[in-house]
Amino acid sequence: MTEQSIHTPNPDVYPLESSRLTGDATAQDIESIRKRTSVFVYEWPVRLWHWVNALCITVLIATGWLIADPLPTMTFAEATHQFVMGYVRFAHFAAAQILTIGFFGRIYWAIVGNHHARQLFYVPILNKRWWREVVFEIKWYLFLEREPKKYVGHNPLAQIAMFFFMTLGITFMIITGWALYAEGAQAGSLSHNVMGWLIGWVGNTQFLHSVHHLGMWFIVIFMIVHIYAAIREDILSRQSMVSTMISGTRTFKDDRPD
Amino acid sequence: MVATPNGFDLDTSGQRIVVDPVTRIEGHMRCEVNVDENGIIRNAVSTGTMWRGLEVILKGRDPRDAWAFTERICGVCTGTHALTSVRAVEDALGITIPDNANSIRNIMQLNLQIHDHIVHFYHLHALDWVNPVNALRADPKATSELQQMVSPSHPLSSPGYFRDVQNRLKQFVESGQLGIFKNGYWDNPAYKLPPEADLMATTHYLEALDLQKEIVKIHTIFGGKNPHPNWLVGGVPCPINVHSTGAVGAINMERLNLVSSIIDKCIEFNKNVYLPDVVAIGGFYKNWLYGGGLSSQACLAYGDIPEHPNDFSAEQLHLPRGAIINGDLSVVHDVDVRDPEQVQEFVDHSWYEYAEPGLGLHPWDGVTQPKYELGPNAKGTRTNIQQLDEAAKYSWIKAPRWKGHAMEVGPLARYVVGYAKGHEDIKNQVDGLLRTMDLPLTAIFSTLGRTAARALESEYCGRLQKHFFDKLVTNIKNGDESTANVAKWDPSTWPKEAMGVGMTEAPRGALGHWIRIKDGRIENYQCVVPTTWNGSPRDTQGNIGAFEASLMNTKMERPEEPVEILRTLHSFDPCLACSTHVMSPDGQELTTVKVR
Amino acid sequence: MSQIETFYEVMRKQGITRRSFMKYCSLTASALGLGPAFVPQIAHAMETKPRTPVIWVNGLECTCCSESFIRGAHPLAKDVVLSMISLDYSETLMAAAGHHAEAALEETIEKYKGNYILAVEGNPPLNEDGMFCIVGGKPFVEQLKHAAQHAKAVISWGACASYGCVQAAKPNPTQATPVHKVITDKPIIKVPGCPPIAEVMTGVITYMLTFDRLPELDRQGRPAMFYGQRIHDKCYRRPHFDAGQFVEHWDDENARKGFCLYKMGCKGPTTYNACSTVRWNEGTSFPIQSGHGCIGCSEDGFWDQGSFYNRVTDLTQFGIEANADKVGMTAAGVVGAGVAAHAAVSALRAAQRKTQDKKEEA
Repeated sequence: MTEQSIHTPNPDVYPLESSRLTGDATAQDIESIRKRTSVFVYEWPVRLWHWVNALCITVLIATGWLIADPLPTMTFAEATHQFVMGYVRFAHFAAAQILTIGFFGRIYWAIVGNHHARQLFYVPILNKRWWREVVFEIKWYLFLEREPKKYVGHNPLAQIAMFFFMTLGITFMIITGWALYAEGAQAGSLSHNVMGWLIGWVGNTQFLHSVHHLGMWFIVIFMIVHIYAAIREDILSRQSMVSTMISGTRTFKDDRPD
Repeated sequence: MVATPNGFDLDTSGQRIVVDPVTRIEGHMRCEVNVDENGIIRNAVSTGTMWRGLEVILKGRDPRDAWAFTERICGVCTGTHALTSVRAVEDALGITIPDNANSIRNIMQLNLQIHDHIVHFYHLHALDWVNPVNALRADPKATSELQQMVSPSHPLSSPGYFRDVQNRLKQFVESGQLGIFKNGYWDNPAYKLPPEADLMATTHYLEALDLQKEIVKIHTIFGGKNPHPNWLVGGVPCPINVHSTGAVGAINMERLNLVSSIIDKCIEFNKNVYLPDVVAIGGFYKNWLYGGGLSSQACLAYGDIPEHPNDFSAEQLHLPRGAIINGDLSVVHDVDVRDPEQVQEFVDHSWYEYAEPGLGLHPWDGVTQPKYELGPNAKGTRTNIQQLDEAAKYSWIKAPRWKGHAMEVGPLARYVVGYAKGHEDIKNQVDGLLRTMDLPLTAIFSTLGRTAARALESEYCGRLQKHFFDKLVTNIKNGDESTANVAKWDPSTWPKEAMGVGMTEAPRGALGHWIRIKDGRIENYQCVVPTTWNGSPRDTQGNIGAFEASLMNTKMERPEEPVEILRTLHSFDPCLACSTHVMSPDGQELTTVKVR
Repeated sequence: MSQIETFYEVMRKQGITRRSFMKYCSLTASALGLGPAFVPQIAHAMETKPRTPVIWVNGLECTCCSESFIRGAHPLAKDVVLSMISLDYSETLMAAAGHHAEAALEETIEKYKGNYILAVEGNPPLNEDGMFCIVGGKPFVEQLKHAAQHAKAVISWGACASYGCVQAAKPNPTQATPVHKVITDKPIIKVPGCPPIAEVMTGVITYMLTFDRLPELDRQGRPAMFYGQRIHDKCYRRPHFDAGQFVEHWDDENARKGFCLYKMGCKGPTTYNACSTVRWNEGTSFPIQSGHGCIGCSEDGFWDQGSFYNRVTDLTQFGIEANADKVGMTAAGVVGAGVAAHAAVSALRAAQRKTQDKKEEA
């Protein structure tokens, strides 16, 4: 029985072999690619989270910077009626709360969402093939490979970056950030009940300020790499990048198998 | 019997007495003496028994922070190290301070002198002369009469007042819980005061305890707290705003009034209580003129309290600068702390080692390598010392020398130098006191003289404090409200390398900090502090230090009860946390540095 | 009649009535889970209990804690020493010296086993067998352990005893060690600060005497009543912080108006102490009020958090010159430059390939 299709199925060829063997592509993905040049990867909560998260991080970096190094003094009202630093801190805390809720939502979606929603939260270090593909990707970025491979979700290198910079990075910023917030909220507050232990453990919270500030730079570095890589891969790779995070669909530019 | 080059005969044959811990001082100290069969001290050994290594810790830090570190050298003479430190940094970087900052710094430094002298006399020293237990036998009415006689203008003098104090004391003593008076030497014949004088002095012990917390509020106003007020390189941190909005955040009229009222309180107390007490108590001990030590031989003062900002020339300092050696009061030598030949430190008898023995190093070239070891004749073990061997290393204090001479520093040294220089205020004070007490000039070279000089200085500093307060107000009136010079606040404005020295007269004597800055960081930092001078061990030549010299030939009433030893050691107001300092381990590099 | 000034007498002197005293006794009884029948017993104990003996030892320190203690205004230091406690050993204040002083220590320990408070000023150095601080010919750490053995509780006065303070700042050449790392089997109350505020010191002691229990401690072992909040939380200049009005330079117009000292490196936002509420020296002022920022002297390791005048402080782990911004900017700069170079090479390669492909097609 032959199905109506614009493609010519080729049962001898296994599409997306690397992607499948590193655990990136699922059986459904393979089936899909046999029929279409695109795969549906990111469900709407993942996409929404991505953009909300990006926005929050932008706000947090800008306001965080201004908390560490405030705007020049301005006096347009009596101190009681003027709230410049207050608004900056408000924006920081508000964005931080959204980011935190979003991150928990994202974790929830990793559990209930599709296969690709989980990729952010682990690194398949036991998968030998995955390591081979990491090496391949490094070679690609070092211009030692002529052509990149196809990946449905994150390429192995991106997965490492995502895990360390985003999953661990944001976790670190949430923990240290909430501990610092607990200082202002004071003993008895929810944040202090949850995060006060860190204040006691660190001792001098000036240190906490310093590492939280350093964490910001960690995220900034990720942003530089992430945005560059996304645009570069959108142009040079064999699949869509930026639009995927908008539509959720990964389209491939050719029909070669891997 | 060994004769030291500075004129003392040491005899170690008699009974050895150990006092450790020496109490009512700052820090940790040990003293050992040999007494002959007549109870006379024939050999004295003083040992600093702590070491903290602050100068090692300062290496690599921001020079603008150094004041806070060095201030923590001592919490009793709090602030004086900080002042010395900011002066050293300002000297290195060529920073000038505004006139108001000079006045405020002087007021704070003078305030410290007064506070420190009063607390020292009443709370650290008085129990060497005053017997609070004997005060229970006093007649309050007779005490009241005594009080009115020695100080007619002191308001607290009624019989009822003294009776209340006596009752409280009685209740305290009879409780059986003697607290700080426990195991005191209260039946020792060395105590000479009649019960009424004991009660009066004990009462003043309590009055002074109440007053001293008032005195320091000047530090609190200008520096935010005491102990350990805050200072600033380039001036003082407190802004002045006496005219306009926001004045509550700055030195305003209310703050100035508070300062002024405290200055008046200091002057009152000095006049009504402190000086009369010293005269009255001293009158009963006129025949106890031991403890002169080096004071008649070798005295050193750096001078302090500059009338004009940024000018440390000797002639415009209110506390005198100069050195006296060989007991010749007719010549006052110039002191230049930058001169590598003048101030040198020796470690042959200190728990440190130099590359070669017998070496004396100027602070710029200083080396410190701790080396804790006991001499072959020491008794006990490494961690349980029974008796030290002074022929070997025996103290955490180095031995600083001025042109090779062991020197005494402190209020008496300042007053001897000032007297020899013909300093008008000092001469008048000393002559007046000696006349009142009917004593010859030579009497000041004694334990009592040291104690009296401190009281005189407190009185003089009270007047100076008033002078600088008036100067501050006049300057503000003339429109100058500036308190800090921030032109060179930013390290980017500093030279790549710089070196400087700061000097003050701390309550206990001449204090110097030497700093070397490289690439905006402290490369080396050295302090030579008053108790290093006074408490120094023997040097290479065998000269004994001021503590040791002052104990020599003192008669002890009961050798097993160290009243006389404490009396004389306390007269220096020892500060051991200050004295036990350290040079950076790689200070050797500095040997090529020329002092400018 | 007993001449010992008892707890009851002390309370009466503090202005507490007989009625309040009995009420206090019944509250104590219920707090201890005892029935009303025990109230008279407690009252009896309070009326006859001698003043609590305090042994005050000094290690490596600068005596600023003792100095601060005698600055106490309410209660006055003299009242504390004469009527509230029995200061049986204090090298700074006691009359006796040498072995007479040591005997006073021994007698107190022997007589009041388990009932005296050990107050520690300073800390023991552990290098050189402890001989960087010698008391009575022996290492201070021995005296400390000896005195702690039978103490009811230990008070760590100041930053030295609580955290190590200046002598423990890097590189800590003497290995100065805070008390709680040497004494591990006793309740320890940390009263940090360099020094602590006088009224906080006397407040902690009188709390223990009045309520006969240890104060509630926070996670770091400090009395929550004085160290529960940051200086920043109660700072009278806080409105200027929220308004974004800062002192930009020392002695500028803003300094004279009393604006916030945050940009001058004030550590009020990270310092837990009562300076902005209790204030110093009978409420006269506190550092921020006098125009200098807080240097954070009651915080663990405050000496090693970079300059007192920087907001973004040094990270000594990355070397002396590094702070978070310098480290971050350098890293971001390197990465940014790398990205730019990579982008350029990528573009070049892509162009090359296009020409090559064209050739192949041709």
